[in-house]
Formats: sequence, C-alpha cells, structure tokens
Amino acid sequence: MATAERDNKSAWGFVAFPMAVLFVFILLPTVLGLALSLFQWSGGALWTPEGGWALPRWVGLTNFERLLEDERIGHGLVNTFVFVIGSVPASVLLAFVLAVAVNAEWFRGRTIARTLLFMPTIVSIVAIGFVWRWVLNDGAGLFNWGLSLVGIDDPPRWLSEGYWPLVWITIVQVWRQIGFCLVLYMAALQGVPTSVYEAASIDGAGPWRQVRSITWPMVRPMTVFLLVTGAIGGLQVFDLVFIMTGQSETLYTTVLNLQVYDQFVLGSYGYAAAIGVLIFAITIAVTAIQMWAFRGEGRR
Amino acid sequence: MSALRRPHAGVQIAVHAVVYAVALTMAVPFVWMVLTSLKTDLEAGSAPTWSTLLPEAAQWSNYVAAWGGGGRANLGRFYWNSTVVAVVTTLLAVAHNALAGFAFAKMRFAGKRVMFALTLATMMLPMQVFFIFAYVLCSWLGYVDNVQALVVPFLASGFGVFYMRQAIGAVPDDLLDAARIDGMTSFGMFWAIARPIAWPAITALAIFTFMNSWNSFFWPLIVVDSIDQKTLPLAVADLASNAYYSAWPVTMAAATILVVPLILLFFIAQRAFVRGVAMTGLKE
Repeated sequence: MATAERDNKSAWGFVAFPMAVLFVFILLPTVLGLALSLFQWSGGALWTPEGGWALPRWVGLTNFERLLEDERIGHGLVNTFVFVIGSVPASVLLAFVLAVAVNAEWFRGRTIARTLLFMPTIVSIVAIGFVWRWVLNDGAGLFNWGLSLVGIDDPPRWLSEGYWPLVWITIVQVWRQIGFCLVLYMAALQGVPTSVYEAASIDGAGPWRQVRSITWPMVRPMTVFLLVTGAIGGLQVFDLVFIMTGQSETLYTTVLNLQVYDQFVLGSYGYAAAIGVLIFAITIAVTAIQMWAFRGEGRR
Repeated sequence: MSALRRPHAGVQIAVHAVVYAVALTMAVPFVWMVLTSLKTDLEAGSAPTWSTLLPEAAQWSNYVAAWGGGGRANLGRFYWNSTVVAVVTTLLAVAHNALAGFAFAKMRFAGKRVMFALTLATMMLPMQVFFIFAYVLCSWLGYVDNVQALVVPFLASGFGVFYMRQAIGAVPDDLLDAARIDGMTSFGMFWAIARPIAWPAITALAIFTFMNSWNSFFWPLIVVDSIDQKTLPLAVADLASNAYYSAWPVTMAAATILVVPLILLFFIAQRAFVRGVAMTGLKE
C-alpha cells in the first residue's frame, strides 16, 4: 500500500525526536536510576585521562539496609504520610462541596468565585511559600494579628515550633489544591444528566439528598482520580516544604523527597536513588490499595 | 447545567457566604503580598494594626530594588532567563507534541503501539528515580548550567503527546482521506486540517506548558549552578534566604514580580487556562 508506506516514513519523522527526548531524559534514566540504588556513586565522568576509570561501585542492598537505620527516613516517611493524609482528602472534599455550590443555577458570581478559588493553582510555589511565611510571621504576620483581634495573644511560633510547620505546610497544600480539584469537579458536573435530578425532584428528594445520592455517586470516577493523583503528587512533595521551612528542614518537617535531594547534593547518588526507589514503591503500593478500595467504580 | 433543586433562600445566602469566605482566603495572602511590597521595612516589620494595613506612601522603590536598580536582587536578568526558557520550551514542545500526537492519532507506522505504550509509561515514572541520571546525562552532554538543560528535556512530554493524540483523534478521517487523495503531504494535512480543528486544545497545552516551565523549581535547582543562569523562581528563593532575608517588602515585591505574568495570562486566557487544567483529568 503506497500510502501506508509514505505514512511510515513521515510518521517516524514526526515521532522520532519526541521519542528520543522521552527516551534519553526519562525512560533510560529511570532504568539506570533503579539500578543505581544498588551501587555507590557520586557522579562525574566515568573515565578521565588522568584518573582512569571511575565506575559506580556495586554494594548490593547496602543502600536499602541504610534506609532502615536512617532516622531521617523514618521521620520523612511519617511526615510524608501525615502530609498526604492531611491534605488530599480535605482538598478533594472541600473542592466537591464548593464545585456543587458554584455550579448551582442560583449561584451569583460564578466566574469571580471560580477565578479567586483557582488563583493559587497557577502561582509559583516559591511565591506561595514566601507569601505564607510572611503571613505566618511571628511578630509582623497578618495571621497573628487576626488572632490578636479575637483575643489570642500568645500563639505558637508557627513555622519553627515542633510539628506546627508541618501542620501549616499541609494546610497550605489544601489551600492551593482546592482550585485544581474544583475545576475538574466542575467539568465532571457537566456530565451529570439533568433528567436524573428531575426524576429525583418528582420523587420528593430535597437538594441535600440530591447532592448526596445523585451528584456524589455520579462524579465518583473524578473523586477516585483526584484522590489517586493527589496521593501520588503528595508522596513526592518537595518544593513547598523546601520553601516554607526556609531550606532548613528538621526531623519535624523533613519529607522523603527532601532526603533524596539532600543525599543527591551530598553526592550520595546511590543512596539518593534508593530513597527514590522507596518513594516509587510506596507510590505503587498506595495507588494499588486505592484502586482496590475503589475497584469497579473507577469507570462507568 | 445541573437542575439541582433550589434550597431555601436562607440556605442560598449561607452557601454564598461560605463560598466567598473561602474565595477570600485565596485572595488575602496575595493582597497582603502586594500591600507589603509597597511598605517601608519599618512599616512592614512591626505588628499590623488597622491603621497600618495600608502603606502610608507607596514605596515603589522596593520594586526598583527587586528589579535590580539598587543592586539588591537584580531580578531583571532572571526575568529574561525565565522568559527565554518558557517561551522557547512552549513553542518547540507544543509543536513536537502536536506532530507526534498527529502521528499517533492518524497515521500508520511500524512500532506505533510500542512507542505509544512507552509514551504513556513516561507519565507514570517517578521523577525521584529518573532525575539523577537525567542530570548525569545533561552534565555529560554539557547542558548543566546552560539553557539547554532547562529546555531540551521538556521538548516532549508523555502527557503532551497523549493529550494531542486525544484532541487530534476527534478530527474526521474523511477530511484527511480526501486530502490524501488530493496528494497532500502528511505535514500539509497536519497544518491545514488537524491544526485548526485542534487549536483550542493546542492553546490549552501551550498555556499549561508555559505555566509549568515558568513555575518550575526542582529541576532548575538541580541543573543550574552559576548565578548567571538562574531562573526567576530560583532567584526569588535565593533573595528570601540570603542576607536580605529580613527585607520583607523587597521579597514581597520580588514575589509579586514572579506572580504577575501568570496572573495576567490567566485573566487574558481564563477559558483556555481552565480547560488546560480540566484536561489533566483526561489522564484517567
């Protein structure tokens, strides 16, 4: 077939470069990165005229044994889970409630509400981190001023005392994720057929009952999607913690991905890769558990 | 539009109040950011009171200082770096993703299924694992500390290719067949038929790509060493954690400078923006 043959050539012309990029910068590094977790290496040239060969050294499971003893990994694991469990369901649920409200026919000012709610989603995390640090500033912060207005004059030091920084990082994550979830929910709500509501109305179902028994089950695939992708993103959190703790995390605030970064910067590429593999494994496990918990309900 | 039953007027008012209260929570930190950016260090540094919420006189000099006039931050140069990276990445990445998406949607070629499966796989692979060798490869290629490191790895993305394939898949085959019989080249078909029909999706992807590139933090942190090559987010992060740490007004001016382009873009192209986010749901 002449056309098919011509297709073949020009199709490869279109696909070759993008595939090369994906191969060189993602696929190959993933395979090498997984393997690297079994080696000790600090990067650099594999061979130099002066120094000769400088190959990664095979250490077997040593990096993974080290994971078990590293208290920063233990704390990072706990903090990462606190962050995910604290932020993902809350942002999804709040976004659902807000989406239903904003989407209602009688809601006034849909565009302005959506614009405001969506704003944190598009803004750089660096800006968000600093703005919140400033809002939560001990002496001159807006938040403490608000508290003093309602008579609370001796608040904790939000960004340096115990677990408070982690609590605030989690709250800020909810704050910035709501808009994203909201927009997706509003798209999903368009797919709920009007006739179902009408039928329920005739049967005497009130608005609250309609939301609980119709809307919530109908957008369930979106809820599952948001919970799963939210958990995947949350397990990989880095920027927000890095910025909000002023690049000086403690055991109270460290998360797994910060440990990957720290080890990478120290030149322990093998150990960094091992932590990365741990995050990957946890991500797969959490996703599998969620898929199992929501089995048969992901698609309609 | 849904035909949810109308609740009582009281409930309606309460719902409005709650939604706008949350919406206000989204805006207040940004308003505070702008207000602080216009205050003197002294004004900003003392505990707020009702009378000091607004700056006494707008200190535009904070923006001059942040931009580089006073030599305190010199964001102007980093603005340029970020703009070049984001614009070049967006133009080239959208073109490559769209062409690849067209091939996967409308053409037949050897290895198509395997290549598409690999493309999808890249969306699920963890950055924590692959960034190390992505960095090592960049350093071997001489990309580290060069603009290439910030652009080349992003010239294709699994999500971009997938999204373009979905969007171009909606182009009617009849149109393409007719064009093929008329002897149109594959690129001609992409350009004259697929591109105009898929244009809304293409703009959405462009905005999304621009946003990700402009806001990108982790990867530039890894591959940029020298101060000359820093992008705006890196420079703002540095500004706030170095010696001028206490100068919150300048930091907030810098944060405002960082945020403004996307907010403007958002207001200009809100529909495309919202569609850009809504389409991430397509990954499902």
